[in-house]
Amino acid sequence: MRQTVMTVTRPIVFVAILVCAVLSTKIASAVEATSSLKQAHINLDKKTINKGLQVFTDVCMGCHSARYLTYHDLMDYPMFGLTRKEAQDLSGGQPLTAAMMSSLPPEAAKQSFGVAPPDLSIIAKAREGKGDYIYSLLTGYGHDPKGNIPDGNYNEYFPGHRIAMPDPLGWLNRDASDTDSLKEQARDVASFLVYISDPHQIERHAIGKWVMIFLVVLTLVFYLLKRAVWKDVKH
Amino acid sequence: MIERMLNTRLAGWIDERTNAVSFIRYHLIDYPTPKSLNYWWAFGSIALVILIIQIVTGLFLAMNYKASTVATGGGFTVAFDSVERIMRDVNYGWLIRYMHAVGASSFFFVIYLHMARGIYYGSYKGPREVLWLIGVALFLIMQSTVFFGYLLPWGQLSYWGATVITNIFGATPVIGPWLTELVRGGFSVGDPTLTRFFALHFLFPLVLFAIVILHVLALHKTHSNNPTGVEQKSKKSVIPFHPYYTVKDLFGIGVFLIIFAYFVFYNPTGFGYFMETDNFSPANPLHTPGDISPVWYLTPWYEILRMIPSKTGGILALNLAFILLFLLPWLDRSPVRAATYRPVFRQMVWLFFVAILVMGYCGHHPVTPVYNLIGRIAGGVYFGFFLLLPFVHKFENPKPLPEEEGA
Repeated sequence: MRQTVMTVTRPIVFVAILVCAVLSTKIASAVEATSSLKQAHINLDKKTINKGLQVFTDVCMGCHSARYLTYHDLMDYPMFGLTRKEAQDLSGGQPLTAAMMSSLPPEAAKQSFGVAPPDLSIIAKAREGKGDYIYSLLTGYGHDPKGNIPDGNYNEYFPGHRIAMPDPLGWLNRDASDTDSLKEQARDVASFLVYISDPHQIERHAIGKWVMIFLVVLTLVFYLLKRAVWKDVKH
Repeated sequence: MIERMLNTRLAGWIDERTNAVSFIRYHLIDYPTPKSLNYWWAFGSIALVILIIQIVTGLFLAMNYKASTVATGGGFTVAFDSVERIMRDVNYGWLIRYMHAVGASSFFFVIYLHMARGIYYGSYKGPREVLWLIGVALFLIMQSTVFFGYLLPWGQLSYWGATVITNIFGATPVIGPWLTELVRGGFSVGDPTLTRFFALHFLFPLVLFAIVILHVLALHKTHSNNPTGVEQKSKKSVIPFHPYYTVKDLFGIGVFLIIFAYFVFYNPTGFGYFMETDNFSPANPLHTPGDISPVWYLTPWYEILRMIPSKTGGILALNLAFILLFLLPWLDRSPVRAATYRPVFRQMVWLFFVAILVMGYCGHHPVTPVYNLIGRIAGGVYFGFFLLLPFVHKFENPKPLPEEEGA
C-alpha cells in the first residue's frame, strides 16, 4: 500500500514542480515586461468607469473609436447606467444603436499622424500590461535622454519610444498642481478601457464564485460516495 | 436504480431488437476492471468529458460565428467582429467562448498526462498495440483540429501562425508549392483558408469522437493495464466498472472541473498561455508580430521543427518524431510493462518527459543561440529515448514482479 502511494505521489509532485517552474518563468517574464510599468490601480467601480467614459468621449474620441460599444450599451451595461437622455446627448443626434466612432476619418488621421489610430474597444486585452500599460503610456510623455525624438513624440513606455499619438492629456506641460488630476484622469480612462475590453468580467467573477462553491461541494459528495462504494474492496 | 431500468420489459424489448442494453451492460456496467488502478487512470474519462464540452460549446459558437475575411473598416473583419459579438452581445456568449478556449488547453493538458501514464506503465505493449496506435492517431487529429480552430478568430497570431505552419508544406519535395496552395486555397492565407479551416474544424471533432469509440472498444477487448503491469484477470483482482470506477472517475472529473472553472471564470486567458495577447489584435497581413510562437501545447513539436537548420530536415524530424511514437510498442522489447519494475527504463522515461517539457519551453521563446542549444539537447534526448529503447532489455535487470492480486 505504501509502495503504491509513493509511486502515485512522486510523479504528481514531479509534474507539479515542473508546471510551477514553467509558470513561474512565464509570470517572472510578464512581471519583468510590466514591472517597468506604473501601477494604475485599476478600479472597476461605477464612479471610476463613468469618469473614464467622460475622458474617453472628451479626449480619446477625438481620434479613436470604440467600434464594439454602442451608445445604447451605455444604458445597458451595469457599470454605466446612463439614462436615455444622457446617452442621446453623447450620441450627438446619431441613433443610440450607433457604435461610438470618432468623427475623424481614419484616412485624415493617417495623413496628420502617419498612422491610423487603433480602435480602443479591446485594446486593454491586446497589450501586455493591460490597464497598467495604458496608464503608463498616458503619463509617460517626457524628454528623450538621447535627444533624437522630439518632445511630444517621446514616450518612455511605448515600444521604441517614438509614438505618433500627441500627448493626449497634456502630461508633458503639466503644472505641479495638475499632476494629481492628470494621474486620476489616466487611471479613470484606463479603468474604462479595461472594463469595455471585457464588459462581462464583473458578472463573470460574480457567477464564478457560486460555480466554484457548487463544484467543490459536488466533488466532496463524489469523494464521500467513492469512499462509501470502495469501503469493502480489499487491496 | 440503473439495474432496475435495464431489467424493465421495455429494455428487454429494445435489447432483443438492437443489443443496445447488452452493449451498455457490457461496456459501462459489468466491464471487469483491475482493482488496483490509481488516479492516473482517470484521465481517459476526463478527456472524454472535455471532448463533449468542446463539441457542445463549439456547436453554439458555430451558430454565432461568421467565417469571412470581408473588411469592416479599421483593419477589422467580419470573422473578428463576430467573435467579439459572441463575447459581448450573445447571451452567455462569453461563457461559451471562454469554456471552449480553456477547454482546448485543458484537453491537451489531460491528454499529455494520459499518454504519459500509458508510456510510464507500458500500457502500449502487447496485446494493446492497436489501442496505442488509435490513441496516437487521435492525438494527431486533435493537433490538426486545434490548428484549424486557432485561425477562426482571425487575430494576428491566427493569421501568422497559419501562415508559418502552412509554409511547412512548401518544403515537401517536388509538390511543395502546389501543396501549400492547395491547403491555403490561394497563394496566401485568406478567405478560402478561413472557410475551409472552419469546415474542417467542425468536422474533425466528430471524427475524433467516432475514433474515441474505437479506442474504447479496443480497450475493452484487451482490458485495462494497471500500475503493476501484470495482467489482472482473475475474479479476485477485478471489479465491475460500475459502481466502482464510475464513482472514482466522477471524483476525478469533479477535481478537474474545479480547476477548469477557476480558469474559465477568473483567468480565461490562462496567464496569456491559453489565449495570447497578440491575438486580440485583428489580423494584419502587412505587419508581422514580433514573436510568432504557437500555443503552449504545440511548442515541443514546433521546437523539433525549427531545431534542424534545414526546412526539409525539420519536417522530416517532426514526421519521424510522430512515427516513432506510433512504433513505440515494437521498439520496446522488454516483457516487463511498468517502469516501476524497470530501473533503467524508469530513468529513461523521466528524462524523456523532461525533454518534452524543455522542448516546449524553448519552442515558446524566440530563437537565441542558448535556447537553440538547449532545445537541440532536449531533442537529442527525445530521439535518443527511441533509439536506445530496443536494446534496454538486454542489459536491464527488472525487479521481481508482484504476483497477480488474489491469484
